[in-house]
Amino acid sequence: MRKLAGRLAFNLFAWTIVLVTAFPLVWMVITSVKPQFELFRIPPTFWPEQITFEHYARLLWDTPFLLYMRNSLVLSTATTLLVVAVATLGAHSLVRFRYRGRERLAQLVLFTYLLPSVVLILPLYLMMVWLGVANSLLSLVIAYTTFALPYALWLLRSFMQGIPDDLENAALVDGATRMGAFFDVILPQALPGIISTSLFTFILSWNEYLYALVLVNTDEARPLTTGVMNMLISAFNIEWSLLMAASVMMSIPLIIIFAFLQKFLTRGFGAGGVKG
Amino acid sequence: MTRSEEGEVRFEKVRKAFGTAVAVRELDLAIRGGEFVSLLGPSGCGKTTTLRMLAGLEFPTSGTISIGGRVVNEVAPGARDVAMVFQSYALYPHMTVAENIAYPLKKRGVARLEREARVRQVAETLQLSALLPRKPRQLSGGQQQRVALGRALVRDPRVFLLDEPLSNLDAKLRAHMRSELIELHRRVGRTFVYVTHDQLEAMTMSDRIAVMHEGVLQQFGTPGEVYNQPANLFVAAFIGAPAMNLLRGRAAEGGFTHPTVRLGFAGAAPGAGRDLVLGLRPEDVTLGTGPFAARVRLVEPTGHEQIAQLDIEGGDTLTIRADAEAPLTAGETLRWGVRAPRLHLFDATTGNRLEAAVMMPQAAAASG
Repeated sequence: MRKLAGRLAFNLFAWTIVLVTAFPLVWMVITSVKPQFELFRIPPTFWPEQITFEHYARLLWDTPFLLYMRNSLVLSTATTLLVVAVATLGAHSLVRFRYRGRERLAQLVLFTYLLPSVVLILPLYLMMVWLGVANSLLSLVIAYTTFALPYALWLLRSFMQGIPDDLENAALVDGATRMGAFFDVILPQALPGIISTSLFTFILSWNEYLYALVLVNTDEARPLTTGVMNMLISAFNIEWSLLMAASVMMSIPLIIIFAFLQKFLTRGFGAGGVKG
Repeated sequence: MTRSEEGEVRFEKVRKAFGTAVAVRELDLAIRGGEFVSLLGPSGCGKTTTLRMLAGLEFPTSGTISIGGRVVNEVAPGARDVAMVFQSYALYPHMTVAENIAYPLKKRGVARLEREARVRQVAETLQLSALLPRKPRQLSGGQQQRVALGRALVRDPRVFLLDEPLSNLDAKLRAHMRSELIELHRRVGRTFVYVTHDQLEAMTMSDRIAVMHEGVLQQFGTPGEVYNQPANLFVAAFIGAPAMNLLRGRAAEGGFTHPTVRLGFAGAAPGAGRDLVLGLRPEDVTLGTGPFAARVRLVEPTGHEQIAQLDIEGGDTLTIRADAEAPLTAGETLRWGVRAPRLHLFDATTGNRLEAAVMMPQAAAASG
């Protein structure tokens, strides 16, 4: 009886949290399909009396939303590829090779995290101008890499520390080159780590706002975050239904990616083959 | 080059230091082609470092290492034509057993059909055929061990390197694998370099044993030599279970003197007053008659024999082996003697074996 009450209390607690977390999302979806006139009705309706997709249609055909979407996809994908490629090789070096200042180097990498990103924006902007890439997607890729890479490096480092040295040694004795051993043995072992790092980097780039706001001021290079805000929020008016429709569509890629990669994330962390 | 010459391994003045810590000092070791050599010693003695230098996974600080007459100091592990079995087996977890065994061939550009044929052949030898499609984590420890062996065997390398390959197996399987390894070595006829801290493994499998301690090679000889003529106190104490009894005494009156044990030197005698250590294996003590006395402290019957601890004067304890029927009772006193030709004498200061003196027991013991 007591056990049952305990379970009941636990479930009640858990569901309350789920409800609190999920409500804004549900409200977002509901609002995006309500007609304009129903939005500000008092008292508010929960279920829309009439379902409409006119906001979605307007976003897709009458605004640069798709351009922003493309920018965001290109930006996040490019950042993720760059960060993961550099971080994987870097983490391997930090774990595997012995050289002077290795630990110091690893700590120094985290140093950028000690500074608030606002402080870094201006120097970054000046560097972009100097490099001649200011106001472009490339400038954002570089900027995002500066803050995604340190974390990615540490995440992958701890993953790679879990891979026994002997695996790579065995590959070397078996006739592989260093690079061969890395691709044949280390990479497959580090795959769960690489996937979660990619996921982390992608989400970070997808949701980034501040750098995008400061470093880019043309629609050609604006990602969704700043693009949508810029387009729908003006001094006089906030287009709530369009904003909600945009928010729903912005969430979709992340949901797809999560759904797709989740099975990789949870799969086979325990490596067999090595005992003792 | 003959098969035997191909498999010759030579360490010349090899030294390996990690920062200020010296793992191997001035190692000179010449291994003949086709020989089964064990590197034996306690952990931290430099045996694994020695093996890893031979594999090319560590580079010597100084000195040269050669395989088949070719200096390999600067040669990458994969180009040395050696195969290695790791203590952890180091099977590639994401590959099947077949892929694991085929990997060294793949890296050497062997065509797929031939690869498959060789893998099948090796799998048959090691009774792995049914396991080929499995992943390493689906195998038992003994099976994983055989896959690791298979990965080494598939290529017919000049030298096999084995780093404590049996230490993760249970006792019964270990005994079984020992005989399989002996068989395997005889069949492939290649040089085996085998690292172990287990003297039983070294004694049973090796043609020669290199005993190492604190980075220094103590003795390199056949199992019989290291057992019957240990070069120094370390080898004497390390080889043999139960361990050799070591009694401290000194050279006086033309013999070895100790509160209980007195022995006369025949032939050239060490200088009088020199500190000596007498080595006496448990099985070289004779019971019942003899010049010396002892009190039985503890008897441990093992079934086919008895191990006993005897207290003798001078505060020493003697471990002895006797057959199962020997009348040994704790608390009783008895008389004992030694098999004189099988005694060992060491210089207490240098620890080195003194070869010259053949010793005869003297009846006129103090506590007789």
